[in-house]
Amino acid sequence: MYFNSFDFLIFLPVTFLLYWFLDNRKIVFQNLLLLAASYIFYGWWDWRFLSLIALSTVVDYVVGLKIYESNSKKHKKRWLLCSVFFNLGLLAFFKYCNFFIDSWIELCSAIGIQNQEFTVMRIILPVGISFYTFQTMSYTIDVYREKLKPTKDLVAFAAFVSFFPQLVAGPIERATHLLPQFLNKRSVSQGSISLGCKLIIIGFFLKLVIADRAAIYVNAVYNNVELHDGLSFIFATVLFAFQIYGDFAGYSLIAIGTAKFFGFDLMTNFRRPYFAASIHEFWNRWHISLSTWFRDYLYIPLGGNRVGKFRWFFNLFITFLISGLWHGASWTFVLWGAINGAYLIIEVLLKAKSRKGILNIISTFILICFSWIFFRANTVSEAFCIVKKIVLQPGKLYIGMGDDIAAPFYAVLAIIVLIGFEIWREYIGSVKQITEKTEISRMLAYSLLIFLILYLGVFGDSQFIYFQF
Amino acid sequence: MSKYRVIIFKLIKLLIIIVIVDMVLGIAAEKLFYTQKTGKYARSTYAIDQTNAETLVFGSSHAHRHYVPDVLENELQTSAYNVGAEGQQLLYHLGLQKMILKRVTPKTIILNIDEDFLFNSTFAYDRLHDLYPYYGDHKDVLRPIFAVNNRFVDIKMFFKSYLFNSTIVHMTRYYVSPQIDYKGYRPLNGTVSEKEIDNYENDTQPKSNLIDSNLVNALKEFILNAKSNNIKLVFVTSPNLIKGNYKQNRSFSLINVIATEHNIPLLDFFNDPRFSDNHDFFHDPSHLNDKGAKYFTKLLAKEILAL
Repeated sequence: MYFNSFDFLIFLPVTFLLYWFLDNRKIVFQNLLLLAASYIFYGWWDWRFLSLIALSTVVDYVVGLKIYESNSKKHKKRWLLCSVFFNLGLLAFFKYCNFFIDSWIELCSAIGIQNQEFTVMRIILPVGISFYTFQTMSYTIDVYREKLKPTKDLVAFAAFVSFFPQLVAGPIERATHLLPQFLNKRSVSQGSISLGCKLIIIGFFLKLVIADRAAIYVNAVYNNVELHDGLSFIFATVLFAFQIYGDFAGYSLIAIGTAKFFGFDLMTNFRRPYFAASIHEFWNRWHISLSTWFRDYLYIPLGGNRVGKFRWFFNLFITFLISGLWHGASWTFVLWGAINGAYLIIEVLLKAKSRKGILNIISTFILICFSWIFFRANTVSEAFCIVKKIVLQPGKLYIGMGDDIAAPFYAVLAIIVLIGFEIWREYIGSVKQITEKTEISRMLAYSLLIFLILYLGVFGDSQFIYFQF
Repeated sequence: MSKYRVIIFKLIKLLIIIVIVDMVLGIAAEKLFYTQKTGKYARSTYAIDQTNAETLVFGSSHAHRHYVPDVLENELQTSAYNVGAEGQQLLYHLGLQKMILKRVTPKTIILNIDEDFLFNSTFAYDRLHDLYPYYGDHKDVLRPIFAVNNRFVDIKMFFKSYLFNSTIVHMTRYYVSPQIDYKGYRPLNGTVSEKEIDNYENDTQPKSNLIDSNLVNALKEFILNAKSNNIKLVFVTSPNLIKGNYKQNRSFSLINVIATEHNIPLLDFFNDPRFSDNHDFFHDPSHLNDKGAKYFTKLLAKEILAL
C-alpha cells in the first residue's frame, strides 16, 4: 500500500481508531493490532513476501535469545553470524543475485570467454527488503554487543520488525530506540496527533508537489539521453536533487507523522541536507538513519578513523562503496558510492571537513549534484555521456513538450517555497513562529498546504524512489 | 476519555477548516479555469457549454488534427466543430458526448476510430482527469464513467481543488503561448522525415492485445446515445502513411462487428491509396499535415454525402 494512495487514506484512520479503542486493554492487543495492520499494509503489494518478513522475524527473535543465553563469546559470535548470514543471504539472493550473474557474464565476455552456464533468474525484489533486514540485523548486533536485552515478547518483536510506517522505506530504526516503545504503554496526546498531522501534510507536499512534479522533467531528460544537451542535464540534475530529497524526506516525514498517531517516536532522517557546507556535513544531514547505521555497524567495526591514515581512507571508501550497492544492484550506484567516498577522503586531505559559509554550501551542492548524475542515470555509460555533454555540449535548454511543458516551472516554484521555508528553519527560527500564533492560524496554514497539494500535486499512485531499494 | 474527545474535536475542526479553504480557493480555481480562451480546456468547455454545430467530430489526435470544420461546412452545407482531443480514448469521448447531448442535439457525429481503441490501456483511464473540472456540473453523466476504474471517486471528487488539479499549469501555458484553433481543429505543418518513418516502423506494435470490456461497453453506449437522439453517427478511420494489415487487429475487427450490428457506416481510409506513401500529406507517419487534412476532409465529406 502506498502512502499516496486512497487505500491508505482509509487504512490509517481505521487502524488509528481500532488501536486507541484498545487503549485500556493489555498492551499485547495493541501490538497484535499493529502487527496485523502492518502485514495487511505490506501484503497489499504482494502477500507472498510476508513469509520473508515472518521468517526474518523468527530467525532474529530466536538468535537474539540464543546470543543472550550463550555463555561463551565464541557461541555468541556463532549465533550472531547466523543472523548476519541469514539477513545478508536474503538480500544477496533477492537483490543482488542477477546483478552478480550479469556482471560475471559481462566480465567473461569482455575477456573473450563465452559463458553459457549462468542464466539470469526471474527474481522479484521484495519491497523494502533492504530496510527491514538492516533493522533486524541491528537488533542481533546490539544484543551481541550487550547494548540491549533480547525480548521474549514475540508479538512485540514481530510488530517492531514489521511496523508499517517505516517498514518499506525507513527510517531504519535501531532496536535500542524503537523496541522498548513496543514493550511499554504508549500514550496519545493532542500534541503528538497535531505534530503527526503536520509532518504528514509537509511530507505529502514534498512528495506530490515537489518530487513528482520535478520527476516529469527529470524522466523526460534522463530517459532520452541522446536527445538532450548539457544545459538540460544541468537543469534536470538540479531538479533531481530536489526530487530525491522531496521523495525520500517526504516519505520519512509521513512515516514519522504516522507513527506519532500510534504514540511512537521515530528518528529524524533528514535535516535540511542542502545547507551542508561540506560533504561530511551533508552525510550528517542526509538519510541519517542509514548513514549512522553504516557508521555504527560497518565503519567503526572496521576501525573507523582510529587507525592509520591509509586504513582510515580505506574504511571510508569501502563504507560508501557498500552504501552505494545497498541503494541498488547496479554499477551506477556503486560509482555513486565511490564518488562520495572519494569526496570524503579528499575533504580529509584538504582539512575541509568543517567548512562554513554560503560559497561552501553552494560548492557542496554542486558536488552532490554531480554524484546524483550517477545515481539517476540508467546506465554507467549514459552517466558518462551526460557528464560529457555537460562539459562539451551545453546546447540549448529543453523546456518540456505537450502537456508537460509547464511541469518544471511549477517544480521550480515549489522548490523556491521549500528553500525559503528551510532557510527560515535553518537560520531564523522554528515553524511555530510562522504558524502557531493561534490555533486557527495554524490550522489555516496547514489547510492551505493541503489545498496546494490537491491543486498542484501529481496524482497517479506514483511510487516512492526508495521502495526499489 | 476526555483526552480522546478533545483530539477528535480538534480533528473535526481541522477537517472543517480544510473543507472551507478548499471551497473558497476551489471556487477561485474554478473561476480561473473558465477564463481560459485557448487550449484543450477552452475547447472542451466551448463544446460542452456553447457549440450549436450540427456536425461534431470526436476522437483522439487523429480527429483533432485531421478534420477541418471549414471544409466540412463548405462541402456538407452545415456547421461543424471538432471536439477531438489529443491522447484521449473512448471513455473520454463518451463523457464529452454525454455532456454535450445534455444541452444540444447535433445532426451528425463523426467518430474517428483508432484501430487500438478497444485494447486495454491505462491511458484510457488516467487521462480522464481532463474531464474532472466538469464533474461539479455533470456528475450525473460523469460519475459512472469515472467509477469504472476508480474505487474512491466520491471522496476524490469531493475536493474542488482536486477537480481542478494541475489546470493552472495548463492555463499558464496557454496564457503565455495561446493555442490557436480553427473551430477545434489545429493544423500540423511540415512533411514527414525518413527518420520518423524508421522510428515509427519500429514502434507500431500495440502495447496490449487484450480487449477491455469497459471500452467495448463505452463504444456501445456511444452508439446508443447517438441512436436514441436520432443523430446520424459515422465511424471513420484516418489515412496512414504506411499500409498495415488492420483486418488482423482484434480491436479493429471487433469495432467492425459492433458497427455492423448497430448499422453504423464505417468509412475506412486506413490504407487509402491516395494517401499511402504520399509524404506530402503527412506531418508524421500517423498524422496528416494541413494539406493532407484538408484533402482528407473533402474526400470524407463526399463519402458522407453519398451515404
